[in-house]
Amino acid sequence: MKATIFDIQRGSFVDGPGIRTTVFFKGCNLRCKWCHNPEGIDREIKMLFYESKCIGCKKCKSVCKSKACILCGECAIYCPSMAREICGREITPRELFDIIARDKHYYKNGGGATFSGGECLLNPDFLRETLSLCKENGIGTAIDTAGNVPYESIERVMPYTDIFLYDIKCITKELHKAGTGVSNGLILENLKRLKKDFCGRIIIRIPIIGGFNDTEEELRKIKAFLDSLEIEEVELLPYHTLGVHKYEALGIDQTEFSVPSEGQMSAFREIFK
Amino acid sequence: MNERIKALCRLTLDGKMYVRPTPVAAVECPENMGRIEREADELCRYIMNQEPLLSEHMAFCGRFNFDGSVVGDAFKRGGHKYTQQALNKYYLKPQENLSTMEWQHATADYRQVLDIGLFGIMEKLKLSYFALEDERRDFSLALHKVAGTIIRWCEGVSRKIREFAKAAGEENRKRLTRLANNLASVPKHGAKDFYQAVLTIYVCFSADPDSVGTLDRYLQPYYDKGIADGTLTREEAKEYLQELFLMLQASTPKESVHFTRGGESHFCVGGYLPNGQDGFTDLSLLIIESMVELPTYIPQVTLRWTEKTPTEVLYKVMDLERQDPHKRIAFTNDEKRIKCYTEICGFPYERAVNYTMVGCNEPAFLGAITGSNSKGNILRCVETLFHKRDEKILAASDFDSFYSLFEEELFSDLQKIFDYDDMYNSERAKDYSYISSLFFEECVYSAKSLTQGGGKTVTASPMLIGVTNLIDSLIVVKQLVYDKKKITMAELIQALKNNWAGYEDTRTLILKTAEFFGNDTDTSSTVSKRVYDSLYRFYYGKKNLFGYPWLVGDLLGYNEHHKWFGEGTLATPDGRYSGQSLKFAIGQSEGKDREGLSALLNDVAGLDKAGIACGSTVTNLYLDKSLIENEGSFRSLVLMLEEYFRQGGVHFQLTYTSKEDLIKAKKDPQSYSGLRVRVTGFSDYFVKLKPSIQDDIIERTVKK
Ligand code: SF4
Ligand code: SF4
Repeated sequence: MKATIFDIQRGSFVDGPGIRTTVFFKGCNLRCKWCHNPEGIDREIKMLFYESKCIGCKKCKSVCKSKACILCGECAIYCPSMAREICGREITPRELFDIIARDKHYYKNGGGATFSGGECLLNPDFLRETLSLCKENGIGTAIDTAGNVPYESIERVMPYTDIFLYDIKCITKELHKAGTGVSNGLILENLKRLKKDFCGRIIIRIPIIGGFNDTEEELRKIKAFLDSLEIEEVELLPYHTLGVHKYEALGIDQTEFSVPSEGQMSAFREIFK
Repeated sequence: MNERIKALCRLTLDGKMYVRPTPVAAVECPENMGRIEREADELCRYIMNQEPLLSEHMAFCGRFNFDGSVVGDAFKRGGHKYTQQALNKYYLKPQENLSTMEWQHATADYRQVLDIGLFGIMEKLKLSYFALEDERRDFSLALHKVAGTIIRWCEGVSRKIREFAKAAGEENRKRLTRLANNLASVPKHGAKDFYQAVLTIYVCFSADPDSVGTLDRYLQPYYDKGIADGTLTREEAKEYLQELFLMLQASTPKESVHFTRGGESHFCVGGYLPNGQDGFTDLSLLIIESMVELPTYIPQVTLRWTEKTPTEVLYKVMDLERQDPHKRIAFTNDEKRIKCYTEICGFPYERAVNYTMVGCNEPAFLGAITGSNSKGNILRCVETLFHKRDEKILAASDFDSFYSLFEEELFSDLQKIFDYDDMYNSERAKDYSYISSLFFEECVYSAKSLTQGGGKTVTASPMLIGVTNLIDSLIVVKQLVYDKKKITMAELIQALKNNWAGYEDTRTLILKTAEFFGNDTDTSSTVSKRVYDSLYRFYYGKKNLFGYPWLVGDLLGYNEHHKWFGEGTLATPDGRYSGQSLKFAIGQSEGKDREGLSALLNDVAGLDKAGIACGSTVTNLYLDKSLIENEGSFRSLVLMLEEYFRQGGVHFQLTYTSKEDLIKAKKDPQSYSGLRVRVTGFSDYFVKLKPSIQDDIIERTVKK
């Protein structure tokens, strides 16, 4: 069994509690216009091309031995200006676990592995196997999900998961559809069920996107929804622009959003106190 | 910081507290006077003529400095004629592009003078005198004379202060009078309270202006007593400590380039006590807090961490470090060091725990010089293999055969570095050190100068420069030549002989795909462990000419040995061009560590199981500032570094950014392809970010 991932970040302090290894799975069924990992949307392995970095040396052409690209990655290795990059690689649960286990000693104090993406729950069987390897070896686990998956997928991983990092973007249906391309019906429904069935920790993560959900009204709606489920742990993540260069490499147009100010962020944090 | 300290601080930073030597005219000595007697005589006359620096703001006084006209202290080595000769020949002059001679630390032990005073030390000298012969008798007599001179000089200073106090306002007069009174009793006698203890160290620092050593241990009994009987408050203790630290800053003249460098007067707090307990106390914390509050560059302090150090202590000290704009705090691991000092060096536990950090980051035992400070070009053996013994390595059918050839060259170079070191030391050893030896218990006991091996618990630690280049070069050979067969040995040899010209693709392949040190892969960890195992096998059991055991270090110090060695070293398999500087200290740079901090720490912590590298080793961590912007992340960082020590890391110091690296990376993305930057929930290779964002990150980066 294999899954496609596009990055592994070891020694992460931000994707859940403690020190963590975060695995980014390729493939997502949302199309958030602000996505800062757009290279993770597609499930397929891809060649990224940063046109602005290309110096036109044609080295890539001379090293390529194939008529149609087989994504061997040779041209990316020899490109002198880092204009080409292979995005994505296949990995087995055991291979992935071996990498995670290298940092096992750092996972004390609540740390562990975080499975993120993309949408990691699009690979429920792969996840279940990797998670169970982690649990067998005493490694904590977290699933970072947008929740737009069949509930069965969540159920499959639940027994081996310590923490769900569950993204909520907004409550207003039309807004959700406009921002992410899908309705939030399933997402909210899944969260309700998860809260009922899951006895571990649920941490809600809300991206604050200037021009999308950065209104008190919308955030109060989220707050009310979470209150009704008696969910208290919430993290607000301000939108940032560090992913925008990837849109160029993918040849996708990007919608402009604004970065919320520190003042705005602290006012929003007050709502969730 | 109170107003008095603020005033002293201004004077210190203006360079006005440096005690200028008072020139003393030479006097003809009687012809029948022996060398030792004459040198001691000149020294005593010099001391007696030194004018103290007086200020109405002072609570402490009694520093003097040497001008080179007489045999001065053993750290600055003014007037040490043979050392000067050796320096002229070898200092900063690479020999065979393999070894350079460096300065040498000398770390006084203040326990004796604090306990029994100079009077007590003189008594000890008297007792042993009759058991000694010839030269040692003369030396013992000389020490006795110098001790008596310091006492008389202090009495003179006491009188001058009393005179000076008369014109001062009431508050100042009271303080100065107390100073005058106390200078009449210490360092002559043992210290009775915290103030006297600080005064003793303040004055005796003139005899060896290197390090105040294990300051919390010296002062703890006085601090406890004062707090318990109500004669001392925490505030007063802080004030005295701050004045002591200002004196350390003022020990370097402002015109010196060293005035603003944080590598001077390094000392320690915490660590294992002889009873096996962790020694970090409220006083240790007060020492660091007092120091960090001063806007000075000197001194710097290391926290000696033990398994018993509470996480909250590490957190607190790292927090102080995070807030310190002058970066004066470093961290070292007692578990690894004490194991090394007992098992490899064979020191009894009670002695092994009496070490401190000095200078840039060199371990030193109290009452001992550092037995070696020479630097070695550890990469030269790789150069020899590829540029001179290429036919041999071409015939090596597997990595093990290649490694055997490498180890032959390595050992041959290590032996030469070893021999050079003995040579530098034997030249320096022709000098006597009078004033410093007084504060080296073993020298008093044996009446042997510390320059001639008078100290007992001493290690020799040559600094091997280029160890990361060396490991990376071997990784390239193992991974890309033998395991994956991406490059042939013939091709690699040709590439290096041509300094990569015509082999640019080979170099690109190496830079982008080699599992360099710091990436914590099977290859990086097995190769680095194997290199350190070789070092262990070479050094274990070897002693230098004074009988000091050898340990390995990798730090650079102030001088550009890595550049000089690099200039003379041809291209190497790690992608290094001919003439390019070597890497110093253990760690990784230029974006070759692609897997992040935990991977780098794993490789560093795991490479030296035996502990042979517990000499002067440094791990510099350049961390992105955003990593510690919130409390949760900072706490995770603390836990990570605590675990790094548990895993066997010896040392770390932090920079929450590297502006220089980011600027270079922007100009030269190829060489920095693995350099990563992080923001919340996201990280990427710096070179892949938009120029405007790169600029933004550079702008947000704090200067070192
Ligand atoms: S990835 Fe391989 S096959 Fe595709 S263009 Fe590059 S070199 Fe050719
Ligand atoms: S090798 Fe890189 S820089 Fe050269 S043409 Fe190809 S993509 Fe552009």
